Amino acid sequence: MKYEITYKQNLNSDDYLLEVRAPLVTKRLRVGQFVVLLIHSKGERIPLSVLKAEDDKITLVIEKLGKTSRELNTYKIGDTLEAVIGPLGNPIDIKKYGNVVFASDLVCGHAENYAASKALQEVDGNHVISIQTFPTKKSVYLEKELRSVSDEYYITTMDGSYGINGHYLNVLEQLLKKGKVDMVFAGGDMQSLKKLSKLTKLYNVPAMVTLRPIMVDATGMCGSCRVFIDGEMKLACIDGPMFDAHKVNFDEVINAMGRFKKKEGEATKYYRRKGR
Amino acid sequence: MAKITETRVSMPEQPIEYRIKNFDEVPLGYTKEQAIQEAKRCIQCENPSCIKHCPVHVDTKRFIKLLAEGNLKEAFLKIKEDCPIPAITGRVCPQENQCEGACILGKKGNPINIGRLAAFLADWAMKNGIKEEFTIKDKSQKVAVIGSGPAGISCAVDLRKNGYKVTMFEALHKAGGVLQYGIPNFRLPKNIVDKELSYLKEIGVEIRLNTIIGQNIPFDELQKEYDAIFIGTGAGAPIFLGIEGEQLNRLYSANEFLIRINLMKAYNFPEYDTPIIVGDKVAVIGAGNVAMDAARCARRLGAEVFILYRRTKEYSPARKEELRHALEEGVNFMELVAPTRILGQNGWVKGIELIRMKLGEHDKSGRPRPEKIEDSKFVMDLDTVIVALGTRPNRLFLSRAPNLKTGRRGEITTDEHLRTNIKGVTAGGDAVSGGATVIEALGNGRKAAKTLHNYLLSEILNFQKISKRNKK
Repeated sequence: MKYEITYKQNLNSDDYLLEVRAPLVTKRLRVGQFVVLLIHSKGERIPLSVLKAEDDKITLVIEKLGKTSRELNTYKIGDTLEAVIGPLGNPIDIKKYGNVVFASDLVCGHAENYAASKALQEVDGNHVISIQTFPTKKSVYLEKELRSVSDEYYITTMDGSYGINGHYLNVLEQLLKKGKVDMVFAGGDMQSLKKLSKLTKLYNVPAMVTLRPIMVDATGMCGSCRVFIDGEMKLACIDGPMFDAHKVNFDEVINAMGRFKKKEGEATKYYRRKGR
Repeated sequence: MAKITETRVSMPEQPIEYRIKNFDEVPLGYTKEQAIQEAKRCIQCENPSCIKHCPVHVDTKRFIKLLAEGNLKEAFLKIKEDCPIPAITGRVCPQENQCEGACILGKKGNPINIGRLAAFLADWAMKNGIKEEFTIKDKSQKVAVIGSGPAGISCAVDLRKNGYKVTMFEALHKAGGVLQYGIPNFRLPKNIVDKELSYLKEIGVEIRLNTIIGQNIPFDELQKEYDAIFIGTGAGAPIFLGIEGEQLNRLYSANEFLIRINLMKAYNFPEYDTPIIVGDKVAVIGAGNVAMDAARCARRLGAEVFILYRRTKEYSPARKEELRHALEEGVNFMELVAPTRILGQNGWVKGIELIRMKLGEHDKSGRPRPEKIEDSKFVMDLDTVIVALGTRPNRLFLSRAPNLKTGRRGEITTDEHLRTNIKGVTAGGDAVSGGATVIEALGNGRKAAKTLHNYLLSEILNFQKISKRNKK
């Protein structure tokens, strides 16, 4: 199986879009499920959200954050990856919610936002409100695409250089205050999701959020992605990746996500020095 | 009769101080002369119990005789008749409970080193390009084998030899199942696993990696597409302690620890991308083979290691050689303790609370039941915990095959012929037993292959009968 890169595009200085041929994935992928990428035989298995799946290709958005995403950014159209595994995890329950929000502030979250908003909008009786947050005007992407698949769209920047000044949480709070929201979905930064959990709880609105703790096999074998939902151990890879925001212990998830920080630094340093 | 050498030809091993700094195989293997010398010790019992005690009934007596006569090729082919992967089983079987345990010379404490003789022959054959010669008469029927571990391997080989088109599905990016992700390189070199698996490809078994049945291909679709199915999905899901503190950083399931090291080669980080963090002082909970593997890996990564076991050393279910190697390598063995709490600081493991145990009455396993001693709790400072309490069948596949009948812990229910409740579907290995040995899984794979072969033959007969009837 050749997992060939068929398209690549820089979205801003940090994030890029990657289209890969993965027929076995696209055939079965449903909204909310994720894939695992292994870029070469010495690589690590990294979980990624899927922006879209068309024909035999999947499109991913990736942030140049660690060693793997930086190295992958040097791959060109026509290059092949070692493996693309998926679909993994459970799909989002696409049904009638009424006024339904999807909010995102990081790469994978934006991908989930687009895929879910599009699917939710196709259900009769849904009014899809999509909110995106970026650091600044220059970093904005997927705006046009998301506008086209939502009934109501908001964009915010942290420095106020574009759209609404602030974070999606500010917009969400206004919407909740108006009593306009029946259901909230969100993906992206964990600290934001933690705040979102508190906020939606306050207004008594259900919320589902994507957790993406560190995974290895992502098929339920290693337990690296264990999270505690209402005190009960769940594996994000096979029980998630979405969980009831009101039941997640976010501090534990955030703590576990940082456990290899030192090693990630070493890997990046090594890569910069030696290349591949 | 020639004089029997009393003691085993000793197996050369990497020196301890050297091997705890690398992940290379510990035993260095017999030379041809050593192997023949060891084989010559066999007294060729009239009624050999070694064969009976092998789950796949390798003709030990015969292959050892051939080896003793210097007929290496014939000896190797003799093993291959019953065991498709002798280079692997020779290294990882618990021989002391099987063939070697039954060896009459063992009564004096020196059984024939059957495992290492098999491994020697297999390695020799690999090096010299010696292979079985057989012709396969292709049949049109298709069989799907789910999982590429030992059960799947033996089932696939037997079915392929019978002419069926066999496709093997593997969820991970490397084939071999537990041989690949579970057993460390110093016990089972991965180039050996890869070579044994290349044999499958040579005889025409198609291996599809990165393919998860239930996710990529629905189980019912697989049933429609294939004439028969073998499920050898193993027991890949970790069991945790279920006590306070398991969310802490630097607490690993043995599965995670070993997958990072064996499958992802974290010991070669940063040349390989997957990291692992081991602190200065590591506790491994449990005392089976997996616990020994994890403990020895942790030693090689430079940690001080303690095995914490609720019984005493003599009741450890680990292979004797693994226990010996672990102890030689400086792994500490703490007996009669059980964890009650993992203690943390700022989100990282900083200690473990233990309770002392004593041995009580013998239980069903024939071992004394460990019992808690009241008011005996104490705390041990350490920074890493590896939980090696065993595994259970993976929920991922089972949740996607709801019609498949399973037991309480997710073990697939089968009859004595390894048939599941679904027609044309068999299962074996750890997916059925919940956790056993490589060779038992191999035996299961063979048995299931036989069942499927009979089933497929009868299907053809039925089909012919029906066609005839329809013609009339």
